[in-house]
Amino acid sequence: MAFRLETQNGITIGIAELDERLDAENSKALQKACGDWQQQTPFLVFDCTKLDFIDSSGLGAIVSCLRRSLEKNGDLKLAGLNAKVSMVFELTKAKKLFSIFSNASDAAASFAASRQP
Amino acid sequence: MPQPPLRHPGNHNNAMKTLIAIKEQHQSWVRDAFPNMHPLLLPLCNKPFIEYLIDFAILAGSREIRLLSDGSLMEIEEICQTGSRWGVELTYANIRPEDGERELLHKNRKFCNGSRTMILNGYTFIDYDKRLDYRVLANHSATGPIASCSTGSIAFAGPPEPAADDNPLPALRITPLDSLRSCYHIAMQILETGAERYVLPGYGSEPGCAIGRNVAIAKTAEIRKPVSIGNNVQLLPGTIIGPMAVIGSNVIIDKGSSISGSIIFDNTYIGEQLEIEGRIASGNTLIDPESGASVAMEDPHLLTGIHSATNSATLLRKTIHALAAAILILLQAIPVIILYPLLRLQGKWKNGPITQQAGLAETLAARLSLDRFPLLPKVLLGQLAIIGSAPRSNSPGCRPAVFSYAEAEDWPVTGSDAAIVERYHAVHSTPFNDIGMTIKALINRPHKRNAGAAA
Repeated sequence: MAFRLETQNGITIGIAELDERLDAENSKALQKACGDWQQQTPFLVFDCTKLDFIDSSGLGAIVSCLRRSLEKNGDLKLAGLNAKVSMVFELTKAKKLFSIFSNASDAAASFAASRQP
Repeated sequence: MPQPPLRHPGNHNNAMKTLIAIKEQHQSWVRDAFPNMHPLLLPLCNKPFIEYLIDFAILAGSREIRLLSDGSLMEIEEICQTGSRWGVELTYANIRPEDGERELLHKNRKFCNGSRTMILNGYTFIDYDKRLDYRVLANHSATGPIASCSTGSIAFAGPPEPAADDNPLPALRITPLDSLRSCYHIAMQILETGAERYVLPGYGSEPGCAIGRNVAIAKTAEIRKPVSIGNNVQLLPGTIIGPMAVIGSNVIIDKGSSISGSIIFDNTYIGEQLEIEGRIASGNTLIDPESGASVAMEDPHLLTGIHSATNSATLLRKTIHALAAAILILLQAIPVIILYPLLRLQGKWKNGPITQQAGLAETLAARLSLDRFPLLPKVLLGQLAIIGSAPRSNSPGCRPAVFSYAEAEDWPVTGSDAAIVERYHAVHSTPFNDIGMTIKALINRPHKRNAGAAA
């Protein structure tokens, strides 16, 4: 999981590229890493372009990351969901919880746009 | 080149007959989408496609129907048999992929025997209305096609029967059944029109709600019409079914899930707290009927197939369970011989679980699960499983057993959570997994009992 920080319009945004699979094997690792990222910024984007499979524990991990970002007055946005992953989000009603963008730069820009006067 | 009009030799006295001819080329998309399903059994609102064609043939006055295909009809023959269920004579024959209507008539000339013959050709849905008299069509229609679409047609051969009435010809529309999209829309159309127009399975006290046999609906489950629910279905608490939902047979909808504008095919488990809207779910596959995109879910907690145990699988499970029970009997025999008289004399071992653990004998008996010893011979006789649902539970869909999956998983042994754990394992566990689960149950039971005692 590659992670980088970008600053747009005075907001530091963390962009994490998720791996191909997010399941019981690596969902805890994501939660742990997310805790570290949230020490740096509560504004996160998960770039799901490479993500091809997600199961219920992976979904749980992402929702948990969202909850912690919201608790810190931030947000977690998703980008680049493929049809398969998108259908899982839709099926589990998780789609309603997230702002979803076609790519990571649009998601990051939306944080900046929300801060514009 | 225009086809000459269809003519049929022979006498005109016999009642009308029907040839239903369906070729593999028209139904290949069904084989691709649902590899384990015969295309003629594709359910449209919980009724196999072939039955709509048979219904229409009967409404048109046929008493003898022949099903023709260039593929295998064995599965259809096993299900439809001689047609006595419909009060007709149903026969089967093979054709070649290149056979046209002329060849079909020529090859089946003995069956047709000079009668007026209706030919339902292709993989198409006939939008009939059971309230209308389609015998008029047979009486009045000229020889040749009377309706056609991209995947098939309805045609008549042989001379019209003498007209005995002046009823108007009923309108007839046929729709190509050529994709998942058309399958979805036809099923939804049937559901919306309901039993007024078609002969549909299930029963219901009010229009727009057809429910099959052995359907368990939790008190907090909600049904929003129109819906069609098949046989052996469980709707767990908090589920919302409909509007516009077709639930097939042998389906479990787990807690809090909602299904609307969707079709759930037979043998499907829908996990907890899911929302299915405008989709087709079949086994572990979720399909978007509009785009044709499908996702095979790898996570069995979301969506999975329910497989009925075959006889050989059942036999294997029983054998493995019996072997495990025999080993347990051998291991527990000596402790039982020593401890049973002692505990029995002290009144601490009745015909139920060992409840007191104050002494060494009681603790040892509890740790070795000796209270289940009397049940083990029943596993050898095939009356109980070694592991399954809550001990000796006989609830529908449960596998009564000596140990329960909930005990193995260290879940509460009673209550709805335990029931879900047990149902999940009853569907997914293999006979070899059962051995592992039995060992876990043996380990967890004393631990749980000690925890309970400490509390």
